[in-house]
Amino acid sequence: MQLITASNLGYSINDKRLFHNLTFSLDSGCALHIKGGNGSGKSTLIRILLGLTAASKGNIEFGKQSLSISYLGHKNAIKTYLTPIQNLELIFKPAIFPLAVDWMDSLGLTQVQDEMTANLSFGQQKKLALIRVLANPADLIILDEPFVGLDHSSRNLLSNFLKEQLALGISLILTSHIDPELNCSELILSEDTNA
Amino acid sequence: MFTSFIHRFSAPKSFVEVTAIFFPYVMTIGFLVLSVGWIWGLAFAPEDAIQGNSYRIIFLHVPASIYAQLIYFFMSICALMHLVWRVKLAAYLIKAAAPVGVIITFIALFSGSIWGIPTWGTWWQWDARITSTLILFIMYLGIITLHSSFSNAEKADRLMSILVVVGVVNIPIIKKSVDWWSTLHQPASITVSEGASIDPSMLYPLAISALGMGLTLIALGIMTSRLYILTREKNKKWVQSYV
Amino acid sequence: MLNFISSEIFKLRHKLRSWLGPLLIMILVLIAFPLSIDISQYDLNKFFFSVIVVALLMISFLATESIFSEDYEDGSLEQLHLEEKDFYKVVLAKIITYVFLIGFPMALIGSVFSIANGISLQDAPKIFIILAASTLILFNVFAFGSALSINKGSMLGVLASLPLALPVIVLLGRAVRTVQYGSGFFEVLALMVGIGLIVTAIMPMIISATLKTHLE
Repeated sequence: MQLITASNLGYSINDKRLFHNLTFSLDSGCALHIKGGNGSGKSTLIRILLGLTAASKGNIEFGKQSLSISYLGHKNAIKTYLTPIQNLELIFKPAIFPLAVDWMDSLGLTQVQDEMTANLSFGQQKKLALIRVLANPADLIILDEPFVGLDHSSRNLLSNFLKEQLALGISLILTSHIDPELNCSELILSEDTNA
Repeated sequence: MFTSFIHRFSAPKSFVEVTAIFFPYVMTIGFLVLSVGWIWGLAFAPEDAIQGNSYRIIFLHVPASIYAQLIYFFMSICALMHLVWRVKLAAYLIKAAAPVGVIITFIALFSGSIWGIPTWGTWWQWDARITSTLILFIMYLGIITLHSSFSNAEKADRLMSILVVVGVVNIPIIKKSVDWWSTLHQPASITVSEGASIDPSMLYPLAISALGMGLTLIALGIMTSRLYILTREKNKKWVQSYV
Repeated sequence: MLNFISSEIFKLRHKLRSWLGPLLIMILVLIAFPLSIDISQYDLNKFFFSVIVVALLMISFLATESIFSEDYEDGSLEQLHLEEKDFYKVVLAKIITYVFLIGFPMALIGSVFSIANGISLQDAPKIFIILAASTLILFNVFAFGSALSINKGSMLGVLASLPLALPVIVLLGRAVRTVQYGSGFFEVLALMVGIGLIVTAIMPMIISATLKTHLE
């Protein structure tokens, strides 16, 4: 099933064109890796797909009504004045909380679960943020630079998780300067984008 | 169909081209009418029975007060057009009208203060009408400051329009404040239901002054709008060939 | 929506400076006022209420300053927007939580202060009710200001929302006079509660549109 179909997407801000004539599609169980230089519009394209930002031109069609999306962007969406375990309590419903705690354990955060999140390292905070996606998969996972700040073992953990989700028929869109080591189609954004 | 009608006639380019034709006439006629009104009012209208000659500031203060509110009302209509139909020109007009509104509201407050000294014995009083007009002045400043704070002009337009629409609730409060609260400020001399309580020898120059000021403000608004549109759309081909 | 309310309560419980801070400042301001001026108790009875009103105004602004900015800056607001299609419910949940946990206690502090300044015990509940209705309106108005100026500093928020808050103060002053002079209280109270309910119904939708503009 075609989950997303985008045709002639374009975006301009303050009369400056970021990208235009972008046409692509994503099927269920497939991955799309959005590539491009700094400022090419990768994050903006993701925000358009999420419905946070309106495209200047073109349209997007979703193959499934009420598509559930799990997203993690540049910002971690965690509270630095809470501990990791308190952040998980805040984010997850009681039914999913045990699964989230398991992921916290898998990512090696159990020993810091009662420390203030503000005192954790960048990588540890990123791992905590990723639990939002790991413990709550949806029809479509969208990740914006998910591997930044992660150590080698955590990168492998995330990569394997994404491979498992793809095998289960869940779709993935990600931007990453680091090779995700997944079987993805690529969308490259540049000045004259046509894909 | 209605939406496409609005979009066709609200293109910034059309506005700039059309206003270029009649702006000189509006400005000239406005100045002339205002001059007639003021000269008549200041030099030829009779003295007031109670206030003497000090009442003559009415020919500046009353039109300024009326337009302070009317400009905001105009901005609120533009704001609705921008929010509902995404008319870019409407946002440009709000941005251009706001400084005109600030100035005229300041003139209303300042002239009112001057008038207050001989009539009330004080240049300022925390009464409902004066305080509400001061609040309107602050609202104009807030709108200008809000728009200037954002580098993304389209975002700034939308936020400004939201603030203008929310702030419009203050206008009826100003309008009716004199009736709702007992106050030092005199009630309206001209009402829709009861007509005018002011003598015709003063009413006519007042009406002419108001008309003249209105035309002058429209001309000023057109001037600031044209300048702002050309600045905002400077990257467009039509501006580069126009300028 | 109950989920959002419980999340807000959870956050405020763990961020005491956002919850108790405004209440402590209100107590400090109300104590500082009689200490700072040398007047008789009789004179204090006449205009103590101005202090409560100004304190309420300032501290309502302070309390709602970071109601959205914290979530905006750490990305939680984005996640909430994606999670809940009717984004105004998130906004309404935040405002209701803040009103109940901060606004109403502020009203209680104000009514206790008014007892200390000549209001009878029978009239104190009236003071509490009108202050509570005022905080409902003020929190909505200042939340709107915070939403407009979300990452541009609090001065912009004040400039945007103060003109809307000042008429509330005028109405509040009128309401207090009805308590002091014993007539027309219920009419003014009905007006304030009515305005409070209307504002609470409409403002979250306006704030939601404002926040969505910021998130774009």
